[in-house]
Amino acid sequence: MARDRHTGEDYVRPIRRLLVGLILLVMAAVFLLWRIEDSPRVERLRAEVIDRVVPSLDWAMAPMTGIATMAANFQSYSQLHEQNRQLRRELQQMRAWREAALQLEQENAKLLDLNNVRLDPRLTYITGVVTADSGSPFRQSVLVNVGRRDGVLDGWPAMDGMGLVGRISGVGRTTSRVLLLTDTSSRIPVTIQPSGQRAILTGDNTVYPPIDFLENPDVVRPGDRVVSSGDGNMFPADLLVGQVTMSTDGRLRVRLAADYERLEFLRVLRSHEAETVSDPGKLIVPEPRELFGPPAPALEPPAETADAEPADG
Amino acid sequence: MASQTRAALWIGRAGFLGLALVLMLLRLLPLDTLPPVWAGPDLLLAATLAWCIRRPALAPVWLVAGLQLLADMLLQRPPGLEAALVVLVTEALRRRHARLRSGGFLAEWLAAALATVAVLGGVAAVLWLTLLPPPPALLLASQAAATVLAYPLVVLAARWLFGLGFAGRPETRRIRA
Repeated sequence: MARDRHTGEDYVRPIRRLLVGLILLVMAAVFLLWRIEDSPRVERLRAEVIDRVVPSLDWAMAPMTGIATMAANFQSYSQLHEQNRQLRRELQQMRAWREAALQLEQENAKLLDLNNVRLDPRLTYITGVVTADSGSPFRQSVLVNVGRRDGVLDGWPAMDGMGLVGRISGVGRTTSRVLLLTDTSSRIPVTIQPSGQRAILTGDNTVYPPIDFLENPDVVRPGDRVVSSGDGNMFPADLLVGQVTMSTDGRLRVRLAADYERLEFLRVLRSHEAETVSDPGKLIVPEPRELFGPPAPALEPPAETADAEPADG
Repeated sequence: MASQTRAALWIGRAGFLGLALVLMLLRLLPLDTLPPVWAGPDLLLAATLAWCIRRPALAPVWLVAGLQLLADMLLQRPPGLEAALVVLVTEALRRRHARLRSGGFLAEWLAAALATVAVLGGVAAVLWLTLLPPPPALLLASQAAATVLAYPLVVLAARWLFGLGFAGRPETRRIRA
């Protein structure tokens, strides 16, 4: 090796410097492209890379995940007795609630029938397994093993059994990334339930994301339910997000309903694009009388002229 | 003799590549999805610095660049940014390889600490310059501190697992210098 260096020094060094310069140039170009172009192309590339690499690491991850789960299970075995008692107590309470829920369900069905309400029937879901997390302390996201192959699209919401977890951001062929509600770039429109206040849930890399843009904080109390509002057509409305809590600095935050400690299975909701009302409202006016003037043309005139005519007449 | 050293060189590189992949994989395991209060050490960065200081031949620049770019892609970092900074810093360390070798461990640790701070601080600075939200300061500081503190452990583990001493003997160094 030493001999290599002695003989090669004269011409290897400039070439090496050129190589390093080239590498740096390529990296800077990738970063600038990602920054300036607002990143869809590079992010797609990233999704493809992850799609290629991570599933092929599954065999290596499986034993490690297994060992970790075993350790967690062992911890819970040691508290088995305590847990058992607690569960019994909870079960008794749940029985009472179940009775109440059944009655409510019947009543609800009856009322819906009476009112002829039409619920959105198209909300179906695909369930995926969490295969990896973001791997960085600064980013909160997980990878699930459903992707373009399963028809997943960017922006669809993901839930665990209890509540909203995040939304799809980045889809590969067999994997897709779920941006968690705790990530610093996550913004979700929410409604706070009894008062009906609209707000934005902004992730800030903490367990309890704060509520922003609240119009009237006085009517919101800790313990209120927070659900997605469906504003901006991003999400279907009324997905459970969590409960309002007050942090020590007096800020309103949300205790998330989803169990973030154990994200194992996520259901990705197929949210179809909501139909929007695009044409402007028209004035409802009586039909122009046909006694005066020529007969009405076959085509309806545009809205402005229709408005103007009766004003003249 | 030449083919033997050549084989040893490529085995050493393969060892570094394998270690880096394992470290990345450990980070990706979905064990803890809660946002952390403190960030742990960036072991991949610490290992890269240790290899570049002690055995630069086993961590050639193209391997470092490729691994860091892959890490940027997999770990949801701005693509190319941290990779470029790591390449810059490791090139600087490579140039000072001979001097660091004679300086003792404290000098090496100091160099690695400076390199860590340069990389992590550089990332934050560039993000700030390009109007991107930089990572939370507390997390960043704790990650830098943890990486610096973890460096001796990484070196110890590398010596034990991979036999990672300094390249070259003191005699040859004196002759070359």
